[in-house]
Amino acid sequence: MSDVTTTPAVLHLNNVSKSFGSNRAVRGVSLSIQPGEVIGLIGENGAGKSTLLKILSGNYRHDEGTIAVNGREVQFRGPADALRAGIGVVHQEQSLFTNLTIAENIEVNTPIGRGGVNRLGLYNWRRLYADAAQALDLIGSHLNPKTRVSDLSFVDRQMVEIARAIRVSAASHTTPLVILDEPTAILERTETAILEREISKLRDIGSVIFVSHRLDEVMRICDRVVVMRDGELIADRAVDDVTEEELFRLMVGRETHAAVRSRRSIDPANSPVISIHDLTRAGSYADVSIDAYPGRILAILGTSGSGRESVARAIFGAEGFDSGSVSIAGYSGRQLSIKKAVALGVGYVPAERKTEGMVGEMPADQNITLTHPGSAALGPFELPRRRLSLARAWFEKLDIRPREPEHMLQDFSGGNQQKVVLAKWLNSSHLKALVLDHPLRGLDPGAAETVNAQIRSVCDEGTAIILIPDTIDEALDIADDIVVMRDGRISGVFDLGHDNPATLDLLERML
Amino acid sequence: MTKIDSERTKVAVPARGKLPSVKRIGGWHAVGPIVIFLAILIVVAILTPAFIGSGGLAIIASSSAPILLLALGQAMVLNVGSIDLSNAAIGLLGAILLALTLGPVAGLSPVIVLLATTAFGAVNGLIVAYAQVPSFALTLGTLGIFQAVALVASGRTTVYVASNGEGIHALYESGIANVPMTFWMGVLLAVSLWVLLRYTRVGRGMTAIGKNESAAIFSAVRTRSLKVLAFALSGFAAGLAGIAIIAQAGSASPTGLGSDLLLPAIAAALIGGTSISGGVVNPLTVIFGALTVALVPIATTAVGIDAQAQSLVYGAVIIGVVALTMSRNKSSIVK
Repeated sequence: MSDVTTTPAVLHLNNVSKSFGSNRAVRGVSLSIQPGEVIGLIGENGAGKSTLLKILSGNYRHDEGTIAVNGREVQFRGPADALRAGIGVVHQEQSLFTNLTIAENIEVNTPIGRGGVNRLGLYNWRRLYADAAQALDLIGSHLNPKTRVSDLSFVDRQMVEIARAIRVSAASHTTPLVILDEPTAILERTETAILEREISKLRDIGSVIFVSHRLDEVMRICDRVVVMRDGELIADRAVDDVTEEELFRLMVGRETHAAVRSRRSIDPANSPVISIHDLTRAGSYADVSIDAYPGRILAILGTSGSGRESVARAIFGAEGFDSGSVSIAGYSGRQLSIKKAVALGVGYVPAERKTEGMVGEMPADQNITLTHPGSAALGPFELPRRRLSLARAWFEKLDIRPREPEHMLQDFSGGNQQKVVLAKWLNSSHLKALVLDHPLRGLDPGAAETVNAQIRSVCDEGTAIILIPDTIDEALDIADDIVVMRDGRISGVFDLGHDNPATLDLLERML
Repeated sequence: MTKIDSERTKVAVPARGKLPSVKRIGGWHAVGPIVIFLAILIVVAILTPAFIGSGGLAIIASSSAPILLLALGQAMVLNVGSIDLSNAAIGLLGAILLALTLGPVAGLSPVIVLLATTAFGAVNGLIVAYAQVPSFALTLGTLGIFQAVALVASGRTTVYVASNGEGIHALYESGIANVPMTFWMGVLLAVSLWVLLRYTRVGRGMTAIGKNESAAIFSAVRTRSLKVLAFALSGFAAGLAGIAIIAQAGSASPTGLGSDLLLPAIAAALIGGTSISGGVVNPLTVIFGALTVALVPIATTAVGIDAQAQSLVYGAVIIGVVALTMSRNKSSIVK
């Protein structure tokens, strides 16, 4: 493997373009990656990152330009060609077979041939395990190849994906290029740290393209950052020569204008909209008491095992609890259903936007009126024309683009989809509280900023917000109250009106 | 990133600017089933001009009536992401009950039959929604149960309408434009269901369930009640099909007219553009799905295809037509 370091570039793109009909998704991209380099690729949703990655992974064929791998020009006819050339992609949505072992997943792409894991069409199990262990060893992982993937944590699965991505090139002794497509988008902070460590190990054996929306991570992990906007590669900077603010400006095309939130302490004259008391669900959380006040954003921090998501779902009636109580706007019941919670004025923006938050194959306007028809309803009927004008008003108010509410929601970008999901709840005539479960997940910084601005203005109109943020920074940025959970119990409560917790302090209470 | 990853969105959408101008209301889904029906009809008319002249269309329409009614019910169930394999059996049981009760209770009989079949459907729906038994397995089971009940109720023989059959029979004898009322009954039901789906919150809730049940639940759509309603509508439509059978034949038997309508009705729903994985349905085009299913066997005879080859032609045409018209909007996995 040492001899390949003499080759000039692992990957060299020259003027690569790709169009879909009249839409030029990638325009004249030129890029060179050296062995051992970690490149950050950033850009807004729709900037052309995904298309570029799909060209590199052999899923799309480029229309113009040349791609050279290790100095040799290549023309990928499919993903298998890309793998053989040493390019492995770890997709954002994991693509492992959870019912199979780690080894089977890693070896699934290896070509059939002499000395391979596949003999006469049958698995050579000993060989299979040995090869998989070798691939895991290369990236410094000590997972047992015989373990079933369904038993693994999310980070460990990510490692298996990386092992699979480098497996083919390891076999053919070429320098691997691993492309990580937003690997940290749904990881908690501690898990991200582990993954960062693993990525730095990849440096020793090959190169990495790291796609992420989190600029701080990109700055920490990468050597160089390239920025895409509107299909073009508009900047290529060493991380030492650039700041986060500058990257944001390059990506979005404008300055950040997130105002610092002015905060007040809880007004003792106010009574909470949602008050949960000693809430317990066996194996998930215990003795959780939280009060959410109108006009305040309450963020719940915690790691993936903290139980904070379950608490949020309990408030919306989507999950049951064993003991304790949830009272919403004065109503208090032992068990709550979604219908009851919604009738009492609670809205919920789920973390899984595509599967739980929206009906992608329905037009945006129909999504908006799905729960609360508002002025579109006439008895049991709903009038399409009124619905459309109501949706247009929301599109205007929340700046949802493009202004075409009659289109399928799945055709919109992530940030705009999320605003439609918000509009669905805001269309209620009696909204009292909104539970937001990872509302910024998967959104690029520009979209995240506009969604955050909307959350703030909803809050300022007197709605109580309960927020499960992706990061501590997100909580410090937007919240009025912070509750920290650890292992299902509350480990800290802060009123940012008078408390000023440090990030490290919050982190300590989470772990 | 998120949207480009979904392979269904074939065209990458720019963050700014226009969305791809696809899926306007209508398109192939609205006209496909009509075009297919007319195309087959034209072929038949060219090959045997006499068929059209001699009231062939009326024959097709009248023989399609029970299929249409069952297909409409099936389409409503498919729309919520389930399937009702028992609806033809419910229809046949309805026909037998009608034949048995017309004598004793006369005019009340159709009402009783419709209430009963609606209740049968609702029971299917209740078990699917609340016990969460997969609809395929459940209705396969209730199919057997309803068949057994039909056998017992009929005493394994043909049940004739003893008296008071004139009113029902008139549904088949009288008609508009030479087409019997039984068919127009189906058209009326189709229009009602179309209004339900297009203009009411109940209908849209159903479609939302078929497209994404989780999101519907999290949007406080009353998913369980709506599923029960879909199955109840299927039972109601099956009851109407039972009435249509009696109107046409004047009798019902566990092995007679109507005993083999399950698959033709499913085929009619699919040809009518219904998605088998839920969330896409247009009752109006299902009318043409049913007409096509009724047309094919009649046409093969009229054109003079050998009797042995008729099933083959029927099968091949159904496959071809479903391939052309079935909605694949949502076909990540076609069940």
